[in-house]
Amino acid sequence: MCIAPLLNRSQATTFTQMKLRIAAVLSVFVLLLVGATAQAQDDESVSLTIGLHAAEKNLNPLIRPMALPITHDITNLVYDTLFWSQASVTPEPFLATGAVPSDDARTWTVSLREDVVWHDGEPFTAEDVAFTFQLVSDLEGPARYGHHVTDHPTFVSAEVVDDLTVVLNFENPIPTFLFLPGGDIPILPEHIWADIEDPLADATSVAIGTGPFKMVEYVPDTSYRFEANEDYFLGDVTVDELVMPIVRDAQAAWAGLQSGELDFVTRNVPAQLIDGMNDNPDVGIVEGSRLQSTYLMFNTRKPVLNDPVVRRAIGMSLDLDVFVNLVEGGLARPGNDTWTHPDSAWAHPTGGHAFDVDAANSTLDDAGYAMGDDGVRVSPDGTPLAWTLYVNSFSPPQIRSGELVAEQVAAIGVDITVEPLDPAATSALRRPSADGPPQIDMFINVFESHAHADPDHLFFFFHSPGRGVGVVFSGLADPEFDALVEADIAASPEDRLANGNVAAQEKFAELMPAVTLYYPDGRWGYRPDAYDGWVSDPGHGVFNKKSFISTYAAPEAVEETDEAVPEEEPAEADDDSSATTEEPADTDDGEAMAEEDAPDADDATAAQDSAQSDPDDDDGGSGGTVVVVVLVLLAAALGGVAFMRRKKATTGTVED
Amino acid sequence: MRRAGRLALQYGLVVVAALVLNFILPRLAAGDPVDYLIPPDSSGFVTAEQRQATLARYDLDGSNRQQFVTYVKNLTHGDLGVSIRTGQPVREVVTGRLGWSLLLVGVAVSISTVLGVLLGFAAGWRRGTKRDIGVLSAVLAVDALPAFFVGLMLLLAFSVKLDWFPVYGAIAAGDITGWARVTDVARRLVLPASTLILTGIGSVFVVSRSALVSELGEDYVFMARAKGLDDRAVRRHAQRNALLPVSTAALLGFSTLVGAATVVETIFSYPGLGSLAFDSVLARDYPVLQGVFLLLALIAIGANFFNDLLYPRLDPRVRKVG
Repeated sequence: MCIAPLLNRSQATTFTQMKLRIAAVLSVFVLLLVGATAQAQDDESVSLTIGLHAAEKNLNPLIRPMALPITHDITNLVYDTLFWSQASVTPEPFLATGAVPSDDARTWTVSLREDVVWHDGEPFTAEDVAFTFQLVSDLEGPARYGHHVTDHPTFVSAEVVDDLTVVLNFENPIPTFLFLPGGDIPILPEHIWADIEDPLADATSVAIGTGPFKMVEYVPDTSYRFEANEDYFLGDVTVDELVMPIVRDAQAAWAGLQSGELDFVTRNVPAQLIDGMNDNPDVGIVEGSRLQSTYLMFNTRKPVLNDPVVRRAIGMSLDLDVFVNLVEGGLARPGNDTWTHPDSAWAHPTGGHAFDVDAANSTLDDAGYAMGDDGVRVSPDGTPLAWTLYVNSFSPPQIRSGELVAEQVAAIGVDITVEPLDPAATSALRRPSADGPPQIDMFINVFESHAHADPDHLFFFFHSPGRGVGVVFSGLADPEFDALVEADIAASPEDRLANGNVAAQEKFAELMPAVTLYYPDGRWGYRPDAYDGWVSDPGHGVFNKKSFISTYAAPEAVEETDEAVPEEEPAEADDDSSATTEEPADTDDGEAMAEEDAPDADDATAAQDSAQSDPDDDDGGSGGTVVVVVLVLLAAALGGVAFMRRKKATTGTVED
Repeated sequence: MRRAGRLALQYGLVVVAALVLNFILPRLAAGDPVDYLIPPDSSGFVTAEQRQATLARYDLDGSNRQQFVTYVKNLTHGDLGVSIRTGQPVREVVTGRLGWSLLLVGVAVSISTVLGVLLGFAAGWRRGTKRDIGVLSAVLAVDALPAFFVGLMLLLAFSVKLDWFPVYGAIAAGDITGWARVTDVARRLVLPASTLILTGIGSVFVVSRSALVSELGEDYVFMARAKGLDDRAVRRHAQRNALLPVSTAALLGFSTLVGAATVVETIFSYPGLGSLAFDSVLARDYPVLQGVFLLLALIAIGANFFNDLLYPRLDPRVRKVG
């Protein structure tokens, strides 16, 4: 805004001089800024800047994860598990070299790898393994890893046989030990954690593990910095430094990727941005499926909702292709009534969804739910089929999905009101009250990769209350279903891979305590010239530790594609998931990118660190046009002002 | 001095009211910290004992009255509690963010006040002319744009298209020291501050313009002109008097902006108090919310107090005799 012409002529001259001086100072300042930013980059060390979508604490594995679903993968940059990973068909040896079960699979003798060293130099021994299991069990804290030590299976004790051998005893048979907890729980250093008074409260100290990266700096809510572990036992780490700022705003994250400030973004690329990113030669997109689903869940303890006929009718009235197109821009697969993600090793062989509005209407008619005059059905005892559907207010896909559900069920005479709430409020509604079941009617949420990859997830989430966590999910209590899943969890992995919990999944489809709406595809943005060793690991997306280990990472150029890559992964029943493995298996995963499988995160807008990992949202849209329009308008405004600034006679008058 | 004493008492009562309100308000929202901390989807079912144990860890397990008493007692020792969300002491969290907020808001308010006053006085002096109306329209047009829009447009234009400024953060991660650190902070400050400046000029402009206009209608101005004083002198006198309401507006603007910059802080991932409050509300992080609200209340009260003390020095008419 040029003020000079607004003054009278006698002041204009001095003001011009002042302006010149100010301009001179400003330009020097700008030059200094620009100069300071042109810092020479050290060519030898590779440093990646990765934009995180949400803050995770100090990677204390014992507390609640906040940046789902990548929490597990960040934690596993610093820590290692006995085997890797829970989502693979054949978990490979990592800290363990093998594990032998007893006849009843209640006791596992684990042999450990030699010469593994903690980041602070101390040697890794069987003590650390025994300590970790005991600690997680003692804490009984509900957290990411707790239930695989305290509920299924229930840990009893550990015996250290020698420095490299430990025996783990469990109360119940756990034939799938290599997956869970073997492929899941990060092993903690006993010499550090034994001295921590309140492990659940420790959220500020820097993590020490055996993993490929050492945590060097942690600024709460702001950023992380990791440096490569030179002595990593599996090989060279391909990146020297990882700098991970937390970029809360999705728009800013994509802007950072485009401008080069970020080399990778942990969010999923929304459909609207894909064309723009494909046009940008500096930015690539890697595709893969995510083991993630968005679902609609009923509280099966509520009147009317406790009738599977009603639940199935609601499910049958939903046209899931509409959800795929309108909510995810076509970049998703419609949900299966059998629940489990089609790419999971434990998925039903065919899956499918029954969509038939007429059949839904006739089953409701036959069951006695008469249509009222206002278009809403009423149960035989007079209760209208009207409910409130709760969705996460920070997740536009969930809000849109909720609205679509409400729209579509109107066709069968059900009245649904969508209520967006923030995550804590919805969680409060899902807890049992002092004298009864939770009050919530139904809600939409996200089922993430760890759950889909868990061989026992049907047991864990849908067994009747008493085992598992069904009480804060659907509360389903069906004795037949219980029997099926209880039999499943005692079966060996070979049996399970052969028949994949089929009977239980079909029973699930019959009871329909929840409807899977869609499985979103996975796409992540990255800059190939910064790093293109990204490798997809089943169940872990491309942001996982294998992308940084030279044995697995793919340094060669990768196609930035928009060729649709088949999302099926080698998840078919592989040969044997034998209980003992000796060599690091040459894995079916870790191929050059454009491979699939993996869940990954993106997130809701703004600062969403809720437990719900929410799929992408945030429309990008090129701001180019808008910027130009705005600038033109501003220029016009300024031009108009300048026009009116024409020199006037300078007397004391104010009139024009 | 009696006046200062009376003011202090009044403000003391306001602080007490603020303490009580800051305690009650966060608890009114549905859900408690445990619902956020260990939600069903990632942690499964939480037993009543686990819930109590978690709350007890943060002194949140008693009745509201007990919690309030504990809170005030700790406050007198300077203990603001521990953040439920990050595990850090609240004092540390809040003071860490306060610095960035003060920097951002301080720079933004200073520049927007100076620009707003310059433009406002220039326009007010020329009231009714096309220049005045042109500037008024332009400033109000920019002021009408919402902060998130301005912020995102600046981001797209200057960060993405032109690549002049970074996209996020207050300072780069990693070790930078010395001059490089200063320039890094300055670069990252430009866009968020510009957003706040653009959206903040309007109110200062309008206040200063109307203040000058009303001063110009006063008798002394008429007298000055009558006795032949030139424009520059008249303008100087009038502007000096017109600065009074501006000082009030600027101080109040500063105190509210510290909390209200949430949107801008979120867009640019700038770690200020606004985004801290926002995250803490989501997390039902009562200790942090209490700490942040208390701090904001103290800042606002302090700004008011300062203004009350400053006013007599600016305006002799307000000074009491003796």
